[in-house]
Amino acid sequence: MMPRIGSRPHQHVLVVDDDPMILRLVEARLHGLGIKLTCEPDAGRVLDWVRREKPDLILLDVNMPGLTGFDVIRQLKLDPSTYTIPVIFLTGMDEQTDKVKGFDLGAVDYVIKPFDPAELRARVRAALQTKALMDMLTTQAQIDGLTGLHNRRFFDSQIDIEMDAGRRYQHKVGLVMIDIDRFKAINDRHGHPKGDQVLKQVAAIITDACRSSDHPCRYGGEEFAVLLPESTPQRTLQAGKRFHTEIRGSKELISLLGRSVTVSVGTACIDPLIHPTAGTLIDKADRAMYAAKQAGRDRVEDGYLLAG
Amino acid sequence: MTDQPETPPPPLLSAFADDPDMIELVELFVRELPDRIAAIHRALESRDLQALATLAHQLKGAAGGYGYGTITASAQMVEDLTKAETEAEEQAASVHDAVDHLVKLMNRAASVPQA
Repeated sequence: MMPRIGSRPHQHVLVVDDDPMILRLVEARLHGLGIKLTCEPDAGRVLDWVRREKPDLILLDVNMPGLTGFDVIRQLKLDPSTYTIPVIFLTGMDEQTDKVKGFDLGAVDYVIKPFDPAELRARVRAALQTKALMDMLTTQAQIDGLTGLHNRRFFDSQIDIEMDAGRRYQHKVGLVMIDIDRFKAINDRHGHPKGDQVLKQVAAIITDACRSSDHPCRYGGEEFAVLLPESTPQRTLQAGKRFHTEIRGSKELISLLGRSVTVSVGTACIDPLIHPTAGTLIDKADRAMYAAKQAGRDRVEDGYLLAG
Repeated sequence: MTDQPETPPPPLLSAFADDPDMIELVELFVRELPDRIAAIHRALESRDLQALATLAHQLKGAAGGYGYGTITASAQMVEDLTKAETEAEEQAASVHDAVDHLVKLMNRAASVPQA
């Protein structure tokens, strides 16, 4: 059955207009659509708010004192964490060139004030429906079918977003690489269905041991990667040790194979201001994980202490 | 022109006067109109065309949404004239007339039919 899209109750719409008369009117006209609405008369506060709250749609006035709507959308489209958020211009500027400019800057639609209430509702609904579909598509395309974790594709794009955010807000970014020891032997001895169950169980343990802001991903066959935004070397190492201990002691895994499953773990944490490329972080964590394998498996190595 | 104080112009009603969802909002809009009229007069007296254009622009965008399409049309006229590239004296006269028309409409705006 198709999921019911367009009737999702939690979609969040931001309306930005310096005129409170317009904010009140939009609020009244969108009432009953089942959306959460936030009104903001000050364009200067929009960017930070949007980065934090990630609304599903922004209705944006053009002509405002200070930052214009065109300035705001330019900034939103430059930031990888906000550039997918759809923007509808809500404005009294009805010149053809302004419309074209709005679309050129990345708006999905354009509503002229004074607006017809039915038209406004229809356009908002259409934009939200598209957003819901896009969310669903990106989610499905970025989830690993077996474990339900984020997949490699998600990891590759998210690590760039986190490095970018870390640079901007001066946070370190942590990465933990987890590789199941002698996984091939598990498959050979117990069969692939059991091997799949082990992967699922390890994924569940990792997810439970994460903070909600961390990003657990399936990196490859039996390798997992957990991305830790706003981390420190100590916290990253602690997380790595937690994953190692929890997997090793898992009763579910022991009952599945009749013995413990062990993992080799490598951790790394870097300051994106100093090491700006995601490749450096991956390389450090990867080498730490490899060092753990070399040292006899079933252990955690801290890439922070490795040379280079 | 002759003054006819004994026959005041009829009130201008919102197109949404019968819409229960809108009654309160329309009332609020009408209640705030005197402030906007005062601001328009201030801009006109200080010959601040920029401020006048902004006020007219806002009114153009809002009034129709509250059911006062004629105010939107009249505000549009004021906005266009403030931005028109005509000779200064001629522009001042035409802006003055357009503002006059706009303010009369704003003064007539009422949220509910008067008894």
